[in-house]
Amino acid sequence: MELQGFPFPANSPEPGACIRIERPEEGLAVVILDPPHRSLAVLDAPLLRDLDAAITDLESDPGLKGVVFAGREPLKFAAGADIEGISSISNERDAHAIVTYVHKLFQRIENLRPQTVAAIGGPVPGGAYELSLSCNLIVAADDPKTRIGLPETQLGILPGWGGSHRLPERLGIPAALDAIMTGRLLPARRAWKKGMIDRLTYPHLLHQIAADLAMGREKCKPRRRKGMAKWLMDRNPLARAVVRRSVMKTVMARTNGKYPAAEAALDVVLGSPGRSREQAATIEAEAVAKLATGSVCKSLVSIFFASEAAKKLGRGSEDFRPRAFSHTCVVGGGIMGGGIASLFASKGMDTRLIDLSRDALDHAQAQHIFDIEKKAKRRRMTRDKAEAAIDRLTVSESMNGIANADIVIEAVAEVMGVKRKILAAAAERVSDQCLLATNTSSLSVTEMAKGLPHPERVIGMHFFNPVAKMPLVEIVRGAETSEEAVTEIAALATRCGKTPVVVKDVAGFLVNRLLGPYLDEAVRLFLAGVDPARIDHLMVDFGMPMGPLRLLDEVGLDIAQHAAASLHEAYGERMTPSEGIANMKSEERLGVKTGKGFYKHDGKKGNKPQLCSDLKRFQESKKARDFSDEQIVERMVFAMVNEAARCLEEGVVANRQQLDLATVFGTGFAPFRGGLMRYAESLGWPEVVAKLDRIGHERDVALRKGGWAKFKPAEWLRQQVARQENAASSTPPPQEII
Amino acid sequence: MLSYASSSGHPRLVIAAGLRTPMARAGGVFAKEDAGHLGALVTRELLARTGIAPDAIDEVITGCVGPPFDQANVSRVIALRAGLPRPTPARTVARNCASGMEAVTSAATNILSGLGGTYLCLGVEVMSSYPLIYGPAMTNFFARLNRARSGGAKLKAMMSFRPSMLAPRVALVEGLTDPTTGMIMGKTAELVARDFGLSREECDRYALQSHQRAMKARDLGRFEKEIVPVVPLGAKPKQSSLRHDDGIRDEQSMEALAKMKPYFEKPDGIVTVANACGITDAAVALLITTEDRARELGLKPLAAIRAFAWAGLDPARMGLGPVYSSAAALDATGLTVADMATVELNEAFAAQVLGCARAFASREFAQKHLGRDQALGELDPAKLNPNGGAIALGHPVGATGARLLLTTALELKQKDQQFGLATLCIGGGQGGAVVLENLGGTGA
Repeated sequence: MELQGFPFPANSPEPGACIRIERPEEGLAVVILDPPHRSLAVLDAPLLRDLDAAITDLESDPGLKGVVFAGREPLKFAAGADIEGISSISNERDAHAIVTYVHKLFQRIENLRPQTVAAIGGPVPGGAYELSLSCNLIVAADDPKTRIGLPETQLGILPGWGGSHRLPERLGIPAALDAIMTGRLLPARRAWKKGMIDRLTYPHLLHQIAADLAMGREKCKPRRRKGMAKWLMDRNPLARAVVRRSVMKTVMARTNGKYPAAEAALDVVLGSPGRSREQAATIEAEAVAKLATGSVCKSLVSIFFASEAAKKLGRGSEDFRPRAFSHTCVVGGGIMGGGIASLFASKGMDTRLIDLSRDALDHAQAQHIFDIEKKAKRRRMTRDKAEAAIDRLTVSESMNGIANADIVIEAVAEVMGVKRKILAAAAERVSDQCLLATNTSSLSVTEMAKGLPHPERVIGMHFFNPVAKMPLVEIVRGAETSEEAVTEIAALATRCGKTPVVVKDVAGFLVNRLLGPYLDEAVRLFLAGVDPARIDHLMVDFGMPMGPLRLLDEVGLDIAQHAAASLHEAYGERMTPSEGIANMKSEERLGVKTGKGFYKHDGKKGNKPQLCSDLKRFQESKKARDFSDEQIVERMVFAMVNEAARCLEEGVVANRQQLDLATVFGTGFAPFRGGLMRYAESLGWPEVVAKLDRIGHERDVALRKGGWAKFKPAEWLRQQVARQENAASSTPPPQEII
Repeated sequence: MLSYASSSGHPRLVIAAGLRTPMARAGGVFAKEDAGHLGALVTRELLARTGIAPDAIDEVITGCVGPPFDQANVSRVIALRAGLPRPTPARTVARNCASGMEAVTSAATNILSGLGGTYLCLGVEVMSSYPLIYGPAMTNFFARLNRARSGGAKLKAMMSFRPSMLAPRVALVEGLTDPTTGMIMGKTAELVARDFGLSREECDRYALQSHQRAMKARDLGRFEKEIVPVVPLGAKPKQSSLRHDDGIRDEQSMEALAKMKPYFEKPDGIVTVANACGITDAAVALLITTEDRARELGLKPLAAIRAFAWAGLDPARMGLGPVYSSAAALDATGLTVADMATVELNEAFAAQVLGCARAFASREFAQKHLGRDQALGELDPAKLNPNGGAIALGHPVGATGARLLLTTALELKQKDQQFGLATLCIGGGQGGAVVLENLGGTGA
């Protein structure tokens, strides 16, 4: 067979190098995925090519009784399909050809006459598991490192190498749908309980047991769904229709129809029973070809790579490996401090939370205990881990018990003097190696480090609210912050399950600096008479997790006002805030925390907040101006795009990839658009500049007392335009950098 | 009878630091607690406040009467959950109500014999979690069912079920009953009351005084140094910590006390639930070491252990245990009751405390039971349990012995006086006593 259109990685080895066939005994062939160019095998073009050749070999061997597919080590099977390769394919025909090719290859594995056994362990996502599914039996290593599943929908595609029909065949429709739609990777034991694998064993016995199974010395029944359940559910069109309706409802609620992969996967899986292998292959190939070449998939893949790259920030280098922290100290027991302390404690670090107020400490600890116990009850956490997490958080009204802390992080009121005093007091009580971190969102880390001993260990670690849910951490590098400190904080963030982005010590850092102009434009539109419901609705429709006015309520009107003022102070005219918030804000009207802001929040779960009825009196123009939907969205989004361009110009963040990552993880910017700058680029840089110019010249913007300059196109954008023009006139086009 | 008194040839044993949780009425705030968590919590806090490195501890000794079934050696569970290094050994000791004191004297004898120098001693009890147990009938039923192989045999085994098998045994009640005499503790107090002719009113007045003293001590912040506030397991968001012993009844009165019915011997008994100690949950941690080692660790000792004694007596009159053990401990030191600036005598029952007070003062009792010519000496009511006792604060059995030592040591510091006595009666007919000495310097 010919493998067409699948790009070979630059360091591809010679044909035949990726697969080793061992014959430890008569009648047994062990196919080992062992590509020399990868630390963990990936189903990329060279490996598939060699696998193809290996299967041809096996097909022509009449004496063969059993075949084992294994990784080079029990806990290193394969990491799935070559995502980088797939995401670089831009035409549907190539994508279709690749899917069909692999389908045929896996079909030949399934058709092999000898008993085939997949011996898997470690991460076995996507394509690697689909390869296993084509074997007669799957035996997996029972180890915490083993994670099995089909996460394709997370990347905007669907399991296209047979997973969408072989998994339903194995598990039945409902369980397979759950696995495919959530894309969860399951630990070995849970995968076994669900029937995703046929047998578990110790890692060190994995290859031996697989050989025994293949040779028939060991008996094991393949687990397939059969009998009544199969007929009642999988072969019953009525039941399938009911399932479709209910799943569709939850999918739409979650994705707002922006992610075509979920819907496509649903249809492919539901339609799979009764299909022949060939039909199934065609249908999967068509679906994948369309999805893989679409923009959503490309966007999600680019975010995926950006987050993978971010995880590497904390790995360190040959010369410097970050310490694994065992003791932490959090000063400030408010929502942020409490959340950070709870996170640290649940990630295995002895954590001391310090606050002057016993009530604050009590609330933080009660919340921690409540959250952890809930996780244990829902089996998200084992009992012993939960107990350890609860034990690890201790609290104190005075700064004691922190002598062995590896990091002290403060999350107290945003007052420079207070923060500096706290870090100084902490510095006296800890070792010189202890990092001194601040969770400030608006103050300068460089300023804070002044006067502290060892300013190179002072660093910003900015979590977002709510700490448990928000996946981003901004690491703020002060002027004297050491590279080691940055690496260690990145390692800590990664260990806490967060994605780190390193930013420069500028006002608002990255995320809040971008949100500032966005929220200000939202308020200005509201003041100009646009219906607040319309503003929020349009932005949700655009793909934000919530509308800007609702977000203001969540942040708190006082906090938002304070943040806007500090941005104004730092950046001048273009960040001049409107008077809207100042006029609206009052003691009882600060957003969610007081139960009232733009919306009424009754604090009850499940109750959607309703817009307040008295909002009209805050609007300066009673008559809604006839903004089009497009105009409204553009005002807010382009205010952000332009500021982002300035950030890139100033080197606030290392590259566009990380900026996009920060917008998706920090502001919730629509992941299917791949982040702010990817979205802007998709419109074309000249178009972006033209739009900014147009908005800047609109009457109401031009007449503003302050704040019009935020639409003055940034130099960086003009450069992009110029570069594009240059590129157009000279060939070849420059390599796209993700 | 066993007694020890410090002498110049021995290292000077000290309580270097101590801390406890508040004591909570069983089934209340700590209803969802377990001994492992409470013990670990107070240990972590003690280590944090003293700044002692966990690996400085040579062994963890925990007194506990009823460790949870899944934490048989609860001491080891506490040590690990508190983050002590894995090589540090841990054991659980029991001497019924004096288990917490036993932990301390065990550590003391170890140090004296040259085995280790720094001990973390705990007393822990979560009486809330004392279980109900299936009786033997039900246990046998399960065994039969388990043995049955064929369907017929299984059916036959199942048929042998009778609803009466479900009647549980209450671990709490059985634990508080002396198996050799079959008497529940309250009944032994009734016996002591009859021996000494104590009246109901006397007992109630004593109980009221316990609450009033505890209330005053609490309001003066007297307990602040010994209690660490606890946000318990099962806490709901916004829940506050328990900061004080919640058994103290501010509104307690003679009228209210008089209304209570006798609990153990109806209708003419005098022991009511209100003039007896409460069933309670708590944990106490003490750092036991030598004076020199304490100084090395940068700690100012709370008190030195001058002497201790264990004594046995008639199980039916176990409440008088403090008389026997105190006599032994004092004799070993050559000190007298009058030298004791403060006496913490555990208030298992008002009748039992008053009985002890009578016995201390009685020459006749001394001659008959203690083999001495003169009375032991009168206990000054002002110095006896000056901050209230178990009737108000509670009596988490395994923890109390350690709690008495902590309270006594801090009281000596507070009053800047030299000697104090901590003593308690023990179910099964024993008494334990420790003489503490303030080494000077106020405040902990």
